Amino acid sequence: MTTNSDKAVAKEMVDIMHRPDGDPKLRPIHTNGIGVTGFFKASETAAEYSNSEPFQGNKIPVTIRFSNASGNKTRHDGWSDIRGMATRFHLNGPQDFDLIAMTLQEFFTPDVPSTLEFLKAARPTPYHSATPLQKIRDYLSLKVPKRNRYPHEDLSPDDGGKKYANKHKFAQLPIFQTASIGAPVSYARAAYHAVHTFIITAPNGKRNWVRFTWQPVAGVRPRPIGPDNKPDDDYLNQEIRDRLSDRETARFTLMMSLGEQEDEVNNCTKPWPLHRTRIVMGMLTLNHVLDAKAQESKIEKMSYNPCLLPEGIEPSDDPILHIRRTAYEISSKERHANRCPFAGGQ
Amino acid sequence: MSNEESWFGRFVDTLPTKGWFKFLSKYVVTPYWLWKDPKPKLPGGPRVSSQPSDNVQRMMNLIMPLKDPSEIGKARAVMAIAQNVDEIFGGLDNVGTVHFARFVILGDKLCMISVYDGDFSNYIRDFIVTVGSVFDAIMAEIEGGSALIPTEQNVEAFIEWVHEHDLFQAPDFPTELFTLQDQAKGIGPDGPVHDLSTLPRNLVLQFHSNPDISLGGGYRAYPGFSAAQIREKLGVGW
Ligand code: HEM
Repeated sequence: MTTNSDKAVAKEMVDIMHRPDGDPKLRPIHTNGIGVTGFFKASETAAEYSNSEPFQGNKIPVTIRFSNASGNKTRHDGWSDIRGMATRFHLNGPQDFDLIAMTLQEFFTPDVPSTLEFLKAARPTPYHSATPLQKIRDYLSLKVPKRNRYPHEDLSPDDGGKKYANKHKFAQLPIFQTASIGAPVSYARAAYHAVHTFIITAPNGKRNWVRFTWQPVAGVRPRPIGPDNKPDDDYLNQEIRDRLSDRETARFTLMMSLGEQEDEVNNCTKPWPLHRTRIVMGMLTLNHVLDAKAQESKIEKMSYNPCLLPEGIEPSDDPILHIRRTAYEISSKERHANRCPFAGGQ
Repeated sequence: MSNEESWFGRFVDTLPTKGWFKFLSKYVVTPYWLWKDPKPKLPGGPRVSSQPSDNVQRMMNLIMPLKDPSEIGKARAVMAIAQNVDEIFGGLDNVGTVHFARFVILGDKLCMISVYDGDFSNYIRDFIVTVGSVFDAIMAEIEGGSALIPTEQNVEAFIEWVHEHDLFQAPDFPTELFTLQDQAKGIGPDGPVHDLSTLPRNLVLQFHSNPDISLGGGYRAYPGFSAAQIREKLGVGW
């Protein structure tokens, strides 16, 4: 149930997310993306854990949008940034399934007030390079100096976030990992985490608290970045086009971790230990990159929503997951996209 | 001209690769910080947890300094193990909760690396009960080992010794290092928030107290299952 106060907060979040170098007609974050289609086929085991349509073993068509997380309207693929993978499973049932994932394992904040506070604190600020003396001071303090500015990088995306993390323990892991996340060689060579906990129901009625991750079959491969190599601004789109040309495919396995008693199910700043039981839920095969026209008319107008879930997959009580439902709906409306599924669109 | 483009900026960027600067970092900067902010030794082995998958397939990296690290001393350690392979394998079968175990000689150390289910003390206790005599032969080759022989009669002290020599397992999530270092100083989770930029330094300094560490809890192909569950599923008559 979305209340008016949820709407006001979500609206404020979306407003803050818009960067001065963004474009109000585009997404406020994950602004640059590319659409790819293919299909998902569940593993044989998946149906033992979930009675939901995506996991019954039928071949399910999917539409995916890969993106760079930045809200800068100019594409800078080589810059260190989180990447996104939004997947819509087109189902026969009344409701499709959106699985929205990113290359960071956890989110920055555990609840709505802290998210608002964080977004304000982490607003991009004019880029200030570290002076040589500051760098020397850092070396002498056994710290890693601030990385050098990329060419044309006018806004610093993480200075505010770092300051915030020095006051809030929960933000330290995501901020630390974001600072060193780098760039992948391909959208198909990164692992993407859906971060929140979802609840799935097995045919025998057993409910499991789970988290999902896409693992690339081609393997994870970051681009080496050093102080001297100037990052390329535009290679990821062409790379995925080349990869999928001549009937080639790119594949991802959908891994599901089973939560245990006392695991943080409603706190998305806390990744679960890496050795929770993992189930292979299925294989995603990507085989087609949408052409420029379809990219414009379909993908850029699409409205994904993390709460678009089919019967048998429920959201946990994670407050971030719930506020995202409203934030995505508002953002979709503001940029005149196809109607968000929760606003009556599909 | 921006800071990084000036000649001085470019020069400063190359400092970490310069021999004299590395020398300065090693012999002046690091000792200074070790004096200013010493880190207590962090305990070895997996950390206490009540959750099921944290209590199966746990890693032990037992690092034992050889009394005599010469070629002859190493050969003697090999003999102590090689002559007792049947006893070790039979003993591990009887313990029943061990997935894998192996001995490695690395530099001047003998290492026993194993993956076990359940409580650490019980694992070592069961192991000593079943293969104590082999461990006596091994401990005779290890620095400080003689005091623990016969291990069967010094079980608690032996458990303590093994725990001391089990490698600290660095956390899978890097910022948890702050929490573990705080804990070692008796500071609880509500203690002050650390400056995130000091994390690399905290790691450097920790190596002084824990010169050898295990990097994270390790990969598992089928996490969450005990040796007993796997044997039962495979139908190998356990
Ligand atoms: C309170 C937390 C968050 C807020 C307020 C938020 C907000 C937004 C908004 C407003 C958009 C643009 C939506 C549109 O215009 O269609 C967006 C896109 C996106 N977000 Fe989030 N987000 C949050 C957390 C997350 C998390 C935890 C993840 C990863 C699991 C994530 C991944 C993405 C991705 C991949 C996109 C691009 C979707 C697309 O390609 O259309 N976000 N987010």
